[in-house]
Amino acid sequence: MNKFWLVFLHEYKRHVMRKRFVFAILSMPLFVVFIVLVGFLSVWLQIDNKPVGYIDQNQILENPQQVPVEKKSIFSPVPSLPFTDEAAAKTALNAGEIQAYFTFSDNYMSTGEVTMTSNEKPGANAEDDFGDFVSYNLVKGMPEPIIERLIDGSNITVRSLDGSREMGADNWMVILLPMLAGILFIIAVNISGGYLMQAVVEEKENRTMEILVTSVSPTQLMAGKVVGNLLVGLTQLVVWILFLIIGLKVAPLFIPDMGSMPAIDGKYILLIAGTMLPAFVMIAAAMGAIGATATESQEAQQMAGFFTLPIVVPFWFVSQIMFNPNGALSVGLSMFPLTAPISLPLRAGFTNIPWWQTSITITVLVILAIFSLWLSGKIFRIGMLRYGKKVSLKEAFRRS
Amino acid sequence: MSTINVEQISKSFGAQKAVDNVSFDVEPGEIFGLLGPNGAGKTTSIRIILDIFKPDTGKVSILGGQMTEEKKNKIGYLPEERGLYQDLSLDRCLIYLATLKGMDEHEAQKRISEYLEKFDLAASKKKKVKELSKGMQQKAQLITTLVHKPEIVIIDEPFSALDPVNTQMVKDILQEERARGTSIVMCTHQMHQVEALADRIALISQGKTVLYGTLANVRKQFAKEALIVRTSSALPAELPGVSEIEKTNSHNILHLAEGQKPQDILRELLTRDIVVEQFEIALPTLDEIFIEVVKNKGVSE
Repeated sequence: MNKFWLVFLHEYKRHVMRKRFVFAILSMPLFVVFIVLVGFLSVWLQIDNKPVGYIDQNQILENPQQVPVEKKSIFSPVPSLPFTDEAAAKTALNAGEIQAYFTFSDNYMSTGEVTMTSNEKPGANAEDDFGDFVSYNLVKGMPEPIIERLIDGSNITVRSLDGSREMGADNWMVILLPMLAGILFIIAVNISGGYLMQAVVEEKENRTMEILVTSVSPTQLMAGKVVGNLLVGLTQLVVWILFLIIGLKVAPLFIPDMGSMPAIDGKYILLIAGTMLPAFVMIAAAMGAIGATATESQEAQQMAGFFTLPIVVPFWFVSQIMFNPNGALSVGLSMFPLTAPISLPLRAGFTNIPWWQTSITITVLVILAIFSLWLSGKIFRIGMLRYGKKVSLKEAFRRS
Repeated sequence: MSTINVEQISKSFGAQKAVDNVSFDVEPGEIFGLLGPNGAGKTTSIRIILDIFKPDTGKVSILGGQMTEEKKNKIGYLPEERGLYQDLSLDRCLIYLATLKGMDEHEAQKRISEYLEKFDLAASKKKKVKELSKGMQQKAQLITTLVHKPEIVIIDEPFSALDPVNTQMVKDILQEERARGTSIVMCTHQMHQVEALADRIALISQGKTVLYGTLANVRKQFAKEALIVRTSSALPAELPGVSEIEKTNSHNILHLAEGQKPQDILRELLTRDIVVEQFEIALPTLDEIFIEVVKNKGVSE
């Protein structure tokens, strides 16, 4: 068997088979679930399901009915109770039977004016639910499509001139996906690069290097390490994405308002993969090279910060990219290799990127990824047996 | 045909010349002692042989030509800087390193179990390497060096951290390997081990070869005109042809006057009716030769 595969399998297994890795991989989804639960809890604390009252002296609502409760909703709506006059409502309010009462003004049909009376601030859901109750009863009896439009409002779809792309107002995925992919990318780069850097430094620190290079060629060793550790990062990423998909499938069962998951364009996924994969290889290989030049893992960590910083830069300019996706800054960020993996997909969500820009960016990234692998192999060969003295870039280019 | 052929290699790091025109050959089925004080250039020479470094000038031929990836599988190397994967279990670590030497995993597993048994490490095979003692790690490292039945073994200080029992076992293993036809290059500072094991030696000092040849020849070359004599009765204070008599606890060292032969002294002792229990030509120990050569070299430069 080719020794590349041995190194690759060794590097992959030694991380993935560890308990630490399983914890790391599970901690992220658990963290997200925790955050969501805390979010729910805070909403839960703000709502009050005590009924509200209303006084409808002008008979605006005909034969009022409660809004039907959807089975899968976690929060049931606040019931609205009719009162004949304000005195009766006030008595109920003071007795604590209702949390507030609403009085329709005489010219409600033209102004929509309603007065709310309460002793203390009502729950966050009270007003909304009463609003739903009123709308439901006002449109009741109209044809179904009209009800839907009146209640849900419009759904505008923006289509590009050539019709190749479109974006619906509710297609939040276009914004969410590149952002999410970007965050996952940064995490994955840091994980893989970190593992790789550690793996190289570790062999220098524990002095196994000399045995290794008398068994495997430095090129095979480095290639096996880079690919193995990249796959460790990718494994982590894939598991997280699986959790995300499961989360997105499961969440609407509990939160009906979220709607269903919008479809994702296959081409868009290709664009994300096309920029992020070579960038991933490029940065991870560079981190491996840093590991080979550095003499201690701590030193390597510090040097790695140099690479991770530019990747994050596009997030500072998100609004620029969103509102001016064809401006000089957006184009520049989407073509500069270190900022491209996040800027390009983000830009693609808001504009049609000319094909030549995409091709140049991806080509440059692929070339740089290969160059980075080659250079790190070379630096690795020079630096592998050197302790206490760093390898300078000049040396890396000069020596064989 | 020599398995290792080193021809006038030189290597500098910056202004410092680490190896200066070193040449030697290693034959199949011999233990070759590569000796020298700290910093003499032994490790650099070995690294050049193993193709870790390229020499500035000179040539190395290994198993009849340049180093290739296939040839790496036929070499076992125990470097001076010891190291194993500290976080792996002992057997996984050994199996990985053995497969890197071209063994298939099943075969490696089988042979490693045998070695672990032999080295008394079988009970610790599931332990992490970092939990093992220094001596145990040293033995594990030796397994890595030998498990793939190499044609060339290069070992740096094979006896460090070993107790006398394990030292003897390693010596036995090295002799078995030699009998199998393996070429063994051994670097050590323990001169008595070289005396006990090595067939030929090269001594490197300040990057240069200062001694090279069979152990017997080298010792003869440094033999002083002296005799070791042990007798049942006391020796007379003076003997013809002897310039000085040095008494030690167990014997006398007789320094011969110029032009005298050992036979003349023996004849003289016999004519005087002195009972001779031991009579031998005083050959210097390798330790003495080492110190003498290295010191003289230092003085002469």
